[in-house]
Amino acid sequence: MLALRDAFITGTGVFLPGEPVGNDRMEDFIGRVGGRKSVIGQRALRWNGIATRHYALTPEGDVLHTNASMSAAAVMASLADAGLGREQLQMLATATTQGDYLVPGHASAVHGELGGGALELASFQSVCASSVMAAKAASFSVRAGETDCAAAVAGEFSSRWFRPSFYEGTALIDAKGRLPMEADFLRWTLSDGAGAIVIEPKPRPNGPSVRIDWIDLTSLAGRFDACMWAGVAPEHRGSLIHAWSHAGPRAAHEAGAIALLQDFTLLKIIIRAWIGVYLEKVDSGRIDPKGVDWLLCHYSARSLRQEIVDVLEGTNAMIPEHKWFTTLPATGNVGSASIWMMLDALLKSGSAKPADKILCVVPESGRAMVGFMMLEVVA
Amino acid sequence: MSVAQASARIDTAQNTAVADVMRKLAVAWTEFEGRLEATPLIRKLTRGRFELSDYHAFLINLRQQVKDGSLWMSRAASSIDEEHLELRSALMQHAVTEHRDFRMLEVDFVTSGGALTTIETAKKNIGSEALSSWMFHQASQPNPFGLLGAMFIIEGLGSIKAAEWGHLAQRRLGLPKEAFKFLLYHGENDAEHMKEFEEMLRLVLPDDAVAERIVTCARVTARLYALQIEEIAA
Repeated sequence: MLALRDAFITGTGVFLPGEPVGNDRMEDFIGRVGGRKSVIGQRALRWNGIATRHYALTPEGDVLHTNASMSAAAVMASLADAGLGREQLQMLATATTQGDYLVPGHASAVHGELGGGALELASFQSVCASSVMAAKAASFSVRAGETDCAAAVAGEFSSRWFRPSFYEGTALIDAKGRLPMEADFLRWTLSDGAGAIVIEPKPRPNGPSVRIDWIDLTSLAGRFDACMWAGVAPEHRGSLIHAWSHAGPRAAHEAGAIALLQDFTLLKIIIRAWIGVYLEKVDSGRIDPKGVDWLLCHYSARSLRQEIVDVLEGTNAMIPEHKWFTTLPATGNVGSASIWMMLDALLKSGSAKPADKILCVVPESGRAMVGFMMLEVVA
Repeated sequence: MSVAQASARIDTAQNTAVADVMRKLAVAWTEFEGRLEATPLIRKLTRGRFELSDYHAFLINLRQQVKDGSLWMSRAASSIDEEHLELRSALMQHAVTEHRDFRMLEVDFVTSGGALTTIETAKKNIGSEALSSWMFHQASQPNPFGLLGAMFIIEGLGSIKAAEWGHLAQRRLGLPKEAFKFLLYHGENDAEHMKEFEEMLRLVLPDDAVAERIVTCARVTARLYALQIEEIAA
């Protein structure tokens, strides 16, 4: 049987567009639907604890970057961090919620931006957990011995979805001209940027590397409806016969099918489902909560409801809050890219010491998915 | 070793045993919740296709198991020996608290336009038959501590799912709150239940065989309960 090699993260890189945007200026960038101030914005911000974020568009609506160009910039930053260049890269796995093109895949667009010679590509589209899919593909390319230098990148350009034109003139707007919570909330949650990692079969000669112990991904989509979605109007969520492409783009827009939506009732159930997957890993010994030195999760510990904290504590599965490391308040929630932003910041902070175990948890509310990565710092 | 040290060691072993069982029960619960979500009835509810006839079918089929609940708890209490009087008391009290709840369900049925005789004379569905037989069989065993696992699943339905379903059903059907008392009342009433449940576990743990039995019992009960909901196809 083929023996797998080890895989090490030897470089990390981040690209954040523009200047940090404070809470008071968000609506200047994403716009005011129907010219009105959002009624739920402040509540959403209290819940997610985000203080600043970055947008790849200007208040005038001009586009500064594309998803592909931000992703390519993050790849180049991660290669530079590893002491490598574009010419060493052999394989690229990309992750995003929505690429710039509808067709072809995001990986092709990122390769186009990167330029240079031939690459093997893998193009993953989901929501936050697409980052984990890309990391698994890239790491197995290296572990299987097919390539010696692979990168996994995750990029998001969420803000373009949040401009008023996505909502105005659609069935999502109620009789009083307001946007419902299920459409407005995400406007206050998600922002733009990209993050990348470089994977090689050996640690880098200078500076810390991170060994990838394992990567697990669990989807429960066979049991749950979509919870965060775009492409079908809310009343037809469970019936893809009504998906946007069947009605045609104009009718789909009018029906409210071309907007990112979140079902909050279902989200509560899906949070419990994620906890269930995590507890199963604790129970089977895959994860030892006491052995985890750093927990990277793009939900803040504070946004977990008390009843969830009670369950984690009551089952000896809670990882204490002082071990949670996050960049969420400063970088915002950048969907799939968030996990690489946290890893990059942790490694560059110098706080993680050799032999430290880093657990990455990437829950995706899209349709009940959750990814886990166990990493170990090596000198 | 001092008496205090010895008792601290027992406490630690007990805390670990309780936490281990709670963790396995939480996993069983989330598996159950996912399975419920995929049943035809709950799909109708969450996808906005739930009709009054679905609500009536739901109440009719819940009534069987709600009515049985305090009966199997009473039987379980009578199967518990003198070494475990505390647990026997807890089960008896629980049974008393809940043994009239099915009347509330009947009132909801009538308030929402159903005829009392319809709900009183309805047959158990296949899942309810299986669930009921299983519960009474377990309750008839000597010291049936595994039933704590069944209670965890059924209590979870009350504290987590009932209000959630009640609100969805009310919003969808547009009837007054009074027609959803059973579902809505349960959600409000269960905040303290988890602590009480852990106290009951402390009466029988640590004990590996009992721990295994509690978890198995929870998983079987969850599977049969989901079967009961699957069988409701109005």
